[in-house]
Amino acid sequence: MSAKSKRRRQILWVATKHWWAAAAKAKFGFVSVTERREIFAREMRYSFEELGPAFIKLGQLISIRPDMFPPQYVFEMEHLRDNVRPTPFEDMKALIESDFGRPIDELFDDIETEPIGSASIAQVYKAKLKFDYDQVIGDDMPAGTELAIKVIRPGSLAKIRADIAVVTPIVNFIHKFKAFKRFNTPQLLEEFSESITSECDLRIEGRTSDQFAFDFRDDPYVMTPAIVWPLTSRNVLTMQYVKGWHLDQSEEATANGVDARFLAIYGADVFMKQVMVIGRFHADMHQSNLLLTPDGKICYIDFGIMGEVKEEHKEAIAQILAATVYADAKRAILYSADIGLVVGDDERKEVIAKVSALMKRTFSKSPRDVRGFAIGFLSILNEQRVVVPRGFGLLVKALVVVEGCAQTVYDDIDIVEAAEQFTTELVLKHMMRPARLYKKLPLAIDAAINELIG
Amino acid sequence: MPLRNADVMKFLAVWEMVHEMADEGMKASIERGKTTEKGEMASDPSAFVDGLAAIIDEKKDKIKTELIEGRDAEFDKDDSATARAVEEVRFEVAELRGRLETMSTTLDAIAAKL
Repeated sequence: MSAKSKRRRQILWVATKHWWAAAAKAKFGFVSVTERREIFAREMRYSFEELGPAFIKLGQLISIRPDMFPPQYVFEMEHLRDNVRPTPFEDMKALIESDFGRPIDELFDDIETEPIGSASIAQVYKAKLKFDYDQVIGDDMPAGTELAIKVIRPGSLAKIRADIAVVTPIVNFIHKFKAFKRFNTPQLLEEFSESITSECDLRIEGRTSDQFAFDFRDDPYVMTPAIVWPLTSRNVLTMQYVKGWHLDQSEEATANGVDARFLAIYGADVFMKQVMVIGRFHADMHQSNLLLTPDGKICYIDFGIMGEVKEEHKEAIAQILAATVYADAKRAILYSADIGLVVGDDERKEVIAKVSALMKRTFSKSPRDVRGFAIGFLSILNEQRVVVPRGFGLLVKALVVVEGCAQTVYDDIDIVEAAEQFTTELVLKHMMRPARLYKKLPLAIDAAINELIG
Repeated sequence: MPLRNADVMKFLAVWEMVHEMADEGMKASIERGKTTEKGEMASDPSAFVDGLAAIIDEKKDKIKTELIEGRDAEFDKDDSATARAVEEVRFEVAELRGRLETMSTTLDAIAAKL
């Protein structure tokens, strides 16, 4: 039996095994739709973890696509864990030496052979810089600076591509069934193939990191590791090693004089700025991609997944966020149309009523439950068969992740409250734009005159 | 003529009175806004106005401090479109240098294998 057939058999076996397990746990359909979806989503996650890197990455893609999958699947995929055994250092060393054409000792000082981080497609090692380097953003980096070297596992892209080739006929077959049609799995697979190719080219991540550093160059509380370009290639990303604490170690950070609570709230503002001012946002902001540094900054790392906001959508997004802050469902739905989330005339009244009730339920307690709101909101759209634009879905998901990060530090942090001042100021700024005033002032004067003489 | 003067004076007095009332109203609103807890702004329209007045007042104090200190950061940032453009070009050049450094490394590696 060929390796391809063997792998196909293994994939089908694992998928069937977990499908039956889910069906049994869901009492063969005798549970609520939500519960059924939760059970199937969990088993799907288990099967992805069992099938390895390609499926873990696919799950990560599902976790940022609330426009395609029901929220239960999207949020379950956040819990995906890499169970991949680290690749031996000798193999990684060979790849580094091949990429730079020189022995590793000529490239780095004091490289540690044990990885400080290991994930499905890459491993990270610590070393020291051999020479002074004038970085793209910021001050010079002296020789001896501690470095973090991210290296793609040899052959990982080829393995993922092989898995894609194996599952493509299965996915095309599944797509013929009506129940699966709306997930548009062939398109998802194609997108997955493109995104994984780009994620495996670490130069792209390095450029995104530099761009982020440039976007926040004036911000005293935000930083990213500087990239060492002469020691960077498609498979190797060399950057400054940043000491710090992950969000779940905030107590330790606080004990060392870092105002973790301030930074957690500030992180929400940084996200708002990324979305509504800059137009590019870090869409993979889970705990391990953020550090609290000893000098009181938030360090953003791993720029594998980024979201983009079109210039013409920024005002609508600011209005939607402000409407969410002020629990105004009608306004939120009205402005959602400007970014492609169109609720039909027949359903609008019902959707507004449902969203309004959801806002009351999730926003009446303190802290407000953004995650609960997002799951409920996406479920309402899903039930009403409203098409969710990709950017909108990614944004909602990212907002939930921002809340999760902030609440890892302090579980009473209310990110809606933290965003209140920022969104209010931004909406006012948009409202006071000369072009808008020029359009609106005659109407306002007309209304005033009518009021006076009426 | 005296009648006209009296009209102008009355107009100015009314103008001043409007300003005085608006000023007092604004000050009272700011005071209320300062005591408004975060998150309460959404509770009703007047709480929103008070909260907004407090935000504006905070901004005003910030600008005042900057002016006293001889800085004009808020306005500098908004007005210096040219400086921003120069900064962006400088970044693009630096980024290009980064790309060239990587390219040069790749070429060196290829040369070493030949």
